[in-house]
Amino acid sequence: MTTVQPHETTGVAFTLNGEAFGADVEPRRTLSDVIREDAELTGTHLGCEHGVCGACTVLIDGQPARSCLMLAVQADGADVTTIEGLAAPDGSLHPVQQAMHDAHGFQCAFCSPGFMMSTIALLAENPSPTRDEIKEELSGNLCRCTGYETILNGVETAVRLMGADRGGAS
Amino acid sequence: MTSTEQTSGLGFVGQSVKRVEDDRLLRGEGKFIADVNPEGVLHAAFLRSPMAHATIRSIDVGEARRARGVRAVFTGQDIVDLTHPFPPFLMLGGMYTPLYWALSADKVRHQGDPVALVVAESRYLAEDALELIEVDYEPLQAVATIGQALQSDREQLWEKADGNVLFDAYHDYGDIDAVFADADRVVTERFSCQRQSNQPMETRGTTIEVDPETGHLTVRSATQSSHFLRWIIAALTEKESVMDSIKGVINQKERRAAFGAAVKEFVTKNKEELDKQDNTGMKDQMKTDRSTMLHMQRIGLGLLGADQYPTVVADDIGGGFGAKGSIAREDVALAAAAIELGKSVKWVEDRVENLTDGGMAREEDLTISLALDNDGTFRGLKVDVVMDQGAYPGFPVGAGFTTQIMKVMFPGTYRFEAFQQRSRIVCTNKGKYVAYRGPWANETWARERIIDVAARALNMSPTELRARNMMGEGDMDEAMITGPTLDVTMSTKKTFERAVEIMDPEAFEAERRAAADEGRYLGMGFCAYHEAAPGPRNYTDAINPGTGVLTAESARTVVEADGSIKVITSQMPHGQSHETTYAQVAATELGVGIDDIELVFGNTSRTPFSFLGTGGSRGGPMGGGAVRGSSREVREKVVDHAARMLEASAEDIEIVDGNIHVAGVPARGLTYADVARDVAGVSAADDAEAIEARCDYEGAGDGGWSCATHACIVEVDIDTGMVSIPRYVVVEDCGPIINPAIVDGQVRGGVAQGVGAVLYESSHYDEDANLQATTYMDYLIPTAMEIPHVEIHHMETLSPGRENDFRGVGEGGMIGAPAALTNAIEDALRPFNARVTDQYLPPTKILELAGVIAPD
Repeated sequence: MTTVQPHETTGVAFTLNGEAFGADVEPRRTLSDVIREDAELTGTHLGCEHGVCGACTVLIDGQPARSCLMLAVQADGADVTTIEGLAAPDGSLHPVQQAMHDAHGFQCAFCSPGFMMSTIALLAENPSPTRDEIKEELSGNLCRCTGYETILNGVETAVRLMGADRGGAS
Repeated sequence: MTSTEQTSGLGFVGQSVKRVEDDRLLRGEGKFIADVNPEGVLHAAFLRSPMAHATIRSIDVGEARRARGVRAVFTGQDIVDLTHPFPPFLMLGGMYTPLYWALSADKVRHQGDPVALVVAESRYLAEDALELIEVDYEPLQAVATIGQALQSDREQLWEKADGNVLFDAYHDYGDIDAVFADADRVVTERFSCQRQSNQPMETRGTTIEVDPETGHLTVRSATQSSHFLRWIIAALTEKESVMDSIKGVINQKERRAAFGAAVKEFVTKNKEELDKQDNTGMKDQMKTDRSTMLHMQRIGLGLLGADQYPTVVADDIGGGFGAKGSIAREDVALAAAAIELGKSVKWVEDRVENLTDGGMAREEDLTISLALDNDGTFRGLKVDVVMDQGAYPGFPVGAGFTTQIMKVMFPGTYRFEAFQQRSRIVCTNKGKYVAYRGPWANETWARERIIDVAARALNMSPTELRARNMMGEGDMDEAMITGPTLDVTMSTKKTFERAVEIMDPEAFEAERRAAADEGRYLGMGFCAYHEAAPGPRNYTDAINPGTGVLTAESARTVVEADGSIKVITSQMPHGQSHETTYAQVAATELGVGIDDIELVFGNTSRTPFSFLGTGGSRGGPMGGGAVRGSSREVREKVVDHAARMLEASAEDIEIVDGNIHVAGVPARGLTYADVARDVAGVSAADDAEAIEARCDYEGAGDGGWSCATHACIVEVDIDTGMVSIPRYVVVEDCGPIINPAIVDGQVRGGVAQGVGAVLYESSHYDEDANLQATTYMDYLIPTAMEIPHVEIHHMETLSPGRENDFRGVGEGGMIGAPAALTNAIEDALRPFNARVTDQYLPPTKILELAGVIAPD
């Protein structure tokens, strides 16, 4: 086991939105801070920094994770996806983003990156969740503006859009 | 770019146009305050008091100053030396407003009170250094409750105050004693509302950017009110010596002239309002604290002698709900630090700080007596409100102004022969009281609760009792007993009748009985109210004469030489979708597409002055009216010029999809770019203003009421104390709707905060004034699991012959929900003879009310 001094840095490398990313970071720095400050991807938001609000949710190897509770060094070797990694190379929105637009999903939208990352993880596991399943899966993300209804509608819209993409019944 | 499907320039108003702001926000490309990182910016962290009430004996920052990466440490005394105290604002006769500085130097008055500021190369290093600061506190007795604050022998927070009661006043309308003596009976109850917190998902934050060449400050902040922040930072950080200030006044001819001109313009424009102002509050303040005058003079001198004022820029904001309309003490300390260091400084507060000192609200005790006759006729209403403002006054809108709005709105839609409110404001060792979505809302809660209590006493149904006393069309007084004029827009009764029809209380009784047979407890509750959104012209006079000066609203519409159209507003969007709704209004006037309009906001060097920015449900009616006014005038100018270019008469010009042409000849049309270039000339820069108009909007006149009835069914589980909400209905009337999807969103969001208020949220302090809810593990924000589906029914009462009839809808959801829910819960607990007197009803409280567990 190696011991690291408080201000020593250590190398970390992971895939970020499909591209290789590397940085020398203090081991105490959170993944969210390294994504926001070193990679300069500020779409991942910090709402509470204690793992409750879910605004900072990113995907680690496809699984949702609170990037405020995870140290950057823990992501070494992982495949990390943030909100900036969702749109297609031609700029067109991911179906979940499009669906949230169509459904008037958000208001201030500060929480929106976390909700959309959680939604993508949910739909990867369960492509056609019921309303109750959506509520339960998204209960780890807080929104203070909408009362959630339009976000839930957005997820249902995304289910339809993604079903249509897969050639399934909409 | 996400495309909006609508392309026609006609009739956008009234459609659920998809949001213009979504594209950047959904891509994660919004620009929130935490995303702003000017070159070389330093990071700030505040040391906050762990004690509720204590004297600071000493503070040692030596080790912190020497710590790695630390550029500076400012103690409370350093900041006192560098700044002026927050001046009293919106004073009331007989009210004492304590003076206080951005950091506390000699005494702390609540947990989280900031005592030192560390500026370092990173936030991590700044926080490391906080741990090296030694503060020696001498604890003082804490004042933790309203009850303790009312005791005269308790430790006093502010030495110049008279005890801990800062304000105590009666307002009478009608002969209250005679009416009470004459009524058949009086029903009295005392209601208590717990301390709550606004809790936007984005915390507060500010970056002070210093121009290395000129020293000019650009304040980037998550603020609902950018102009007010600019003036306060300018006012409180100009700390030259008096001599230097005087020299500045003498030397800065241009500055002085500009200042004089601005003041003259303001005074001329607001003469009527300013003449009405009652200066008793200021006089009383001066008597109680003579140093006020000295500070005000120095602030005035500083402002006059200053070379320049900061520019404030606000971009995307992650919600506010009133909290970001308050000026943060921290912002003033940051500005002082940045000026001192000549370096940009950034602070984004964390959630613990936000829960501790980001703004709290609603903690009020309300003793209310309703005098009525045995047939159910209301005669008089008497209330005694005690508001707990915490340690420091909210600035600019705090407890004082809020008690006075409450005073005006308390009688609601019902007719009374007399009304009296006693208003008291106390200070305690708690976080500061700020405006929170419908700041006066507890008048609706207490009034609608006492009506249910009275109905039970009379053995009458609560809906029948409400209907009997509600004013409605054809039976409406000219004005509320408290002053504001009523008209057809006060349509609460219509919403109420519709809600009763939808809920069908008789059918519900059968449902209730069937549930009771299964051991399930169902209840139904109603709440009816109207709110000033923005209200008639005499509304602000009824609150406090002359305060209408706060509510002016302006917009500019500009066509640039290349044909781009910009709408510039003094509103400050933070979730309300102004970019979409104002584009709808402007595009409709100008005959262009939604995507042709760009909304400019938040930058004080570009936007017209406004005290309030966004707040008070003014965005639709006032901001929308101003945008319509300026856009209409621009259209007229465009049409006039196009008529000359087309050698036609202006009356024959029409604009469709941006094509400006003689009616029937669209093929020979002009674009906005053609007209603007012709006006500006070939040599003008593309972004030069070619055609513009400004509208200083004063409102549509009388009316301006938004009305609603909330009704719900709850089920109370007396084994667990959990409350579920199988049905929640809102019937609302905010007049003609600009964008139904956005209005629905505002209503649902407000209801969600009301559900939180009743069932989940409490900024609870223990007996020593230690805050018990400093994380989201303890301050419970409701999730998707807890918020019910909200069924919304719209009524759109029009004011005949009146344009810009829009009425605000941002606050109402939260005004109605607590009463509807608590009324329904008491109704469900009828078998246990429960009386709901608290707004906060967590499971333990429900179990107490049901007699399952003993009261605490």
